[in-house]
Amino acid sequence: MQERLSLYIQRDSWLHALNPLTKLSLTFAFILVGFLSPWYWTALVLVFAGILPLSFFGRVQREYFWTALRLLVPVAGFIFIMQALFLPVGTQELFRWLIFHPTRESLAQGFLTATRIFVMVSSFILFLLTTHPSEMMSDLTRRGLPGQFAYVIVSTLQIIPQMQAKAQTIIAAQRSRGLDTEGSYFKRIGALVPLVGPLVFGSLVEVEERAIAIEARGFTSTRQKTFLREIKDSPIDRTIRISLVGLVLLTLLAKLWR
Amino acid sequence: MINLQNVSYKYPLTDKQVLKDINLQVQPGEFVAVIGPNGAGKSTLCYAISGFIPHFFKGELSGSVQVAGVESRQSTLSEWVLTVGLAFQNPFNQISGAKYTVFEEIAFGLENIGVPRDEMITRVEQAMAMTGITALAQRSPFSLSGGQQQRVALTSILVMQPQVLVLDEPTSQLDPIGAREVFGVIRAMSHSGMTVILVEHKVEWIASFADRVVALHEGSILLDGRPDDVLTSPFLEARGFGLSRYTQAARAAALDGLWSPGRRLPVTLEQAVDGFSLEARRDADSH
Repeated sequence: MQERLSLYIQRDSWLHALNPLTKLSLTFAFILVGFLSPWYWTALVLVFAGILPLSFFGRVQREYFWTALRLLVPVAGFIFIMQALFLPVGTQELFRWLIFHPTRESLAQGFLTATRIFVMVSSFILFLLTTHPSEMMSDLTRRGLPGQFAYVIVSTLQIIPQMQAKAQTIIAAQRSRGLDTEGSYFKRIGALVPLVGPLVFGSLVEVEERAIAIEARGFTSTRQKTFLREIKDSPIDRTIRISLVGLVLLTLLAKLWR
Repeated sequence: MINLQNVSYKYPLTDKQVLKDINLQVQPGEFVAVIGPNGAGKSTLCYAISGFIPHFFKGELSGSVQVAGVESRQSTLSEWVLTVGLAFQNPFNQISGAKYTVFEEIAFGLENIGVPRDEMITRVEQAMAMTGITALAQRSPFSLSGGQQQRVALTSILVMQPQVLVLDEPTSQLDPIGAREVFGVIRAMSHSGMTVILVEHKVEWIASFADRVVALHEGSILLDGRPDDVLTSPFLEARGFGLSRYTQAARAAALDGLWSPGRRLPVTLEQAVDGFSLEARRDADSH
């Protein structure tokens, strides 16, 4: 069973060593530039000149390729085909076959949307591959994000796999008592009923106990928190963040003036 | 250290009084064990001492709960936990889920209360050494066995260095060896001056560790006294308390005249061995 819900891969790289906020800014800068830019080729340039080289810098290129190939190429491809074939824009019809009549404009629009989606999701993937969730949350909490918010994010990542394991145990227990979980759809839906009770009510009890346990460890304390993880925030980080903001602003200006 | 006066409590939306007119005074450094059948109010008593009643569980609390001279109603929960630490039965639910290694998990409480980083590391290392989990430091808390998680949960509270330690069946998930280790840690904490309230079913352990035993029954204190007196009391069995098997053996022996009526009933193995060998010698002398 998977121990946690996270893409993070521990490597010793220049990208890993960046401050989490810098990497988060990088991700959002890619997305904003990709979506704001008035030129249709920007998103493609971002992928080949930005995200791909960064995945090599972060030494996660193999994992990145795999995720992109399995998840993103099909999704982006689907979006491209749907928009190209069905978007009712433009006049320059390329061809007409049955109900399909793609135009130059719908093709361009499909390409734009698909590459933008590609940039958005793949920059997030790169971010998640190179940033430890609790490192990111420690850093954001230090910068003023409410501790409760950070806790909800990080603990969900860990507790969902635990709940999946528990659901498996309950299924096994109910099957050993003769519950039939195979067969027709109706039968399978019916088999969910004896699973939901223990899982849902069990989880409610768990939530209460966990709330007590973290309260017992001063979770709602009003004192200034300290952090075990030391997270670097170098002048390089700050320079990168400022230039990213500049880049986004330039793109915005380009969009407004064109 | 702890002073409970006329404490009664009802959980919200219920009519049943779970605690009825409890009066309990505990001296600093005292080690008090609490026993009682299911539903006697043991966990509720733990919550009342550790401030979760009235700050977490609403409901109707009457009477006065004071620890170190402060009334629990007048404090906040996050300040109260600095004085009174609580660990309870199910170790899995005591893992915060916010941390990826045992070391970070134990440091969680210290981060929350703002302990400086250097001090934090020293305290976590000391606490882990004390409970014998140093080797687990880099493991994921969720990958541990129940017994290991139990010790992590206990360490997470010990590291906060409370003056009072409230433990609600902390060895329920442990095998006998693990339980002995945990009891060893608890005793060491007690010897170092910490006040300990321990809810526990393992009567033989209580007899050898606790200074005092409180028997709860249907929300009231039935007996309160030295372990040997309370744990062998004829009151207990009739009310659903478990006696130790040594006590039961000696009682059975007494029916056959093999244990003199005047001799105190044993609770632990050592007491039983001593008692039975004295009985055997008495038999040999009289023949």
